[in-house]
Amino acid sequence: MDAFYASVEQMDNPDLIGKPVAVGGNLERGVVAAASYEARKFGVRSAMSGKIAALKCPQLIFVKPRFERYKELSYRIRDIFYDYTDLVEPLSLDEAFLDVTENKVNNPSATLIAQEIRKRIREEVGLNASAGISYNKFLAKTASDINKPNGQAVILPKQAEAFLEKLPIEKFFGIGKVTAEKMKEIGIHNGYDLKQYSLQYLTKRFGKSGLHFYNIVRGIHLSEVQPNRVRKSLSAENTFEKDLMGREQWIPALMEIFEELKRRIEKSGIKGRTVTLKIKYRDFTIHTRSKTFEQYPEEEKIRQAVIELLEQEELSLPVRLFGIGLSNLNIEIEHSHFGKQLWIDFENPK
Amino acid sequence: MKFIVSSSALLKQLSAINGVVTTNPVVPILENFLFEIKDGKLTITASDLQTSMMTEIDVEAKEDGNIAVPAKILIETLKNLPEQPVTFSIDHDTYSIEISSDNGRYKLAGENATDFPKIPTVTNATAVDMSTEVLSSAISNTIFATSNDELRPAMTGVYINLSSTNATFVATDGHRLVRYRRVDVASGDPASLIIPRKALNLLKSTLPSENVPVSVEFNSSNAYFKFNSIKMICRLIDERFPDYENVIPVDNPNHMTIDRMDFLGSLRRIAIYANKTTHQVRLKLTGSELQISAEDLDFSNEANERLSCEHDGEDIEIGFNAKFLVEMLNNLDSKQVTLQFSAPNRAGLIVPSDTSENEDILMLVMPVMLNNYV
Repeated sequence: MDAFYASVEQMDNPDLIGKPVAVGGNLERGVVAAASYEARKFGVRSAMSGKIAALKCPQLIFVKPRFERYKELSYRIRDIFYDYTDLVEPLSLDEAFLDVTENKVNNPSATLIAQEIRKRIREEVGLNASAGISYNKFLAKTASDINKPNGQAVILPKQAEAFLEKLPIEKFFGIGKVTAEKMKEIGIHNGYDLKQYSLQYLTKRFGKSGLHFYNIVRGIHLSEVQPNRVRKSLSAENTFEKDLMGREQWIPALMEIFEELKRRIEKSGIKGRTVTLKIKYRDFTIHTRSKTFEQYPEEEKIRQAVIELLEQEELSLPVRLFGIGLSNLNIEIEHSHFGKQLWIDFENPK
Repeated sequence: MKFIVSSSALLKQLSAINGVVTTNPVVPILENFLFEIKDGKLTITASDLQTSMMTEIDVEAKEDGNIAVPAKILIETLKNLPEQPVTFSIDHDTYSIEISSDNGRYKLAGENATDFPKIPTVTNATAVDMSTEVLSSAISNTIFATSNDELRPAMTGVYINLSSTNATFVATDGHRLVRYRRVDVASGDPASLIIPRKALNLLKSTLPSENVPVSVEFNSSNAYFKFNSIKMICRLIDERFPDYENVIPVDNPNHMTIDRMDFLGSLRRIAIYANKTTHQVRLKLTGSELQISAEDLDFSNEANERLSCEHDGEDIEIGFNAKFLVEMLNNLDSKQVTLQFSAPNRAGLIVPSDTSENEDILMLVMPVMLNNYV
């Protein structure tokens, strides 16, 4: 979806149409969750702090995010996808992979299906979408960025390698800012440069991801569209209004986040064996520490583990963000469309 | 050995206990009925080692004797014979059985009665009396909630707890639980036991429609039921039953009272449109309106209905397996039922709105998570 959250706000409030809109980010420390195309012209980008966004575009209109509404529309869009295939892998509320190799409408052309789906999203939901079509997920995702907004593009198998050779390294899906910088340090600026390195070198340099990089630049990405998205973690985190310094500030802040996590645990009935503490410092470096239990820990044990993990960390810098996460969960399936039948918990009655 | 008996009277007795006979038993002789004649009385036994049933019938016989008779072929023969006296002649050397009727003669190979497993007796038993009416409603109110999961053996039967004031019958499959209590059954010796589902199913189909006394005796390994001419003995499930009282919520804040038949009818229609795997229906309570809806995104099916109800509590949306709800509502007979909820991931309760004098029933059901609830 093109500027999904911002487009929804413009659709629901015609006063915003044609104006630079940012969803979220109006607090001192908040970040922009989405920017309308009008705002993007001024250089406003998602994940930019509200403060900077307002500097770049003084007439920028900040709106509060309404995730319930985005979710509702997202499900309506997903329902359209399900008319064509059951192999839908949602990446987020506004992006999904579809495998249409075999489809419910017996249309052999993925291009035509994409056109039809985009048309239906426009007519039935009222929003613009872009699509990328190719023979694997990585290339499809890359293709979807080519003719954005409100367009689509195809990368054919024979075009793939040539296309990837020219692609700037930071545009590769899965290569973030940090990795892109590391690559540039060793002279990799585009796909062609990346291709010159051996698998051995890349694995040595980038660990497990080395193989992935080696493959994608050759147009190889064997990951299948996975219709059942599995929930892997449950977490709560908070970016603080002001950086926190010292134990007497950290502990209460952590406890507040812990309370939120506790609420989510209670609401979802999810348990996890691994407790992870995430710390983002003033200089944006992120440290994580975790502890894994033999058995699903009680809430009090989670709380103690969090404090323990904090003690292990050498906290010399002011902290910008704390997060607490649970993983190694007791649930396997968390499909957006299939409800999970709950069990009576005879072991831990409430 | 020879005896004469009415074909239809014998068939009636055999049919009552034939359910015990399995098609592929552990020991082949269990494909037979054990016939034992003593003083003009024929005792017939069927067994699968876990459960055994016995019945009696008067026959014309000059001598005592025993034989094991192939169950299937005997029942088929009797079913297809017009009502008449039939004569059984048994050759004790070859164990061959000859049945003669007005229509002709049928010869079948029996087996040595002494090879038939010995049926246990219940010693040091606790006894409790109830009526067939109590026993059959206890069975039918609970048995549907038992589990098929052999890995959770305790849940594959119905738990019975006898106290000095009442008898409680509980069944659960881990997703739902039924607690059925009778105050007209009690025992001076408090005791608890788990009776396997198969035995209860057999009892249920054998219990007569007229209300007669049932004597129940049990010790730590077996239970023994006796009514009319029929006896049943079954091995108990030797497991600890889950601690059910603690999982029953006592303070669910939302109470919804609704006409049972209206609710049931609506659920049956809506369930047709539910997802075939989860059977999820969504109950949305807004004020005194209940909206029931379901959708199957795989087929673009959806349905919703509105019913009015009495509702005390905040608005709530909660998902359930429609099959569970239908089964539970079907097993209640009050005009109105009350559903008690607290949250979309917490147990809901269904209880009849009007209480009856001797019985108390409570049904618990776990929700199916709604996709908009994280």
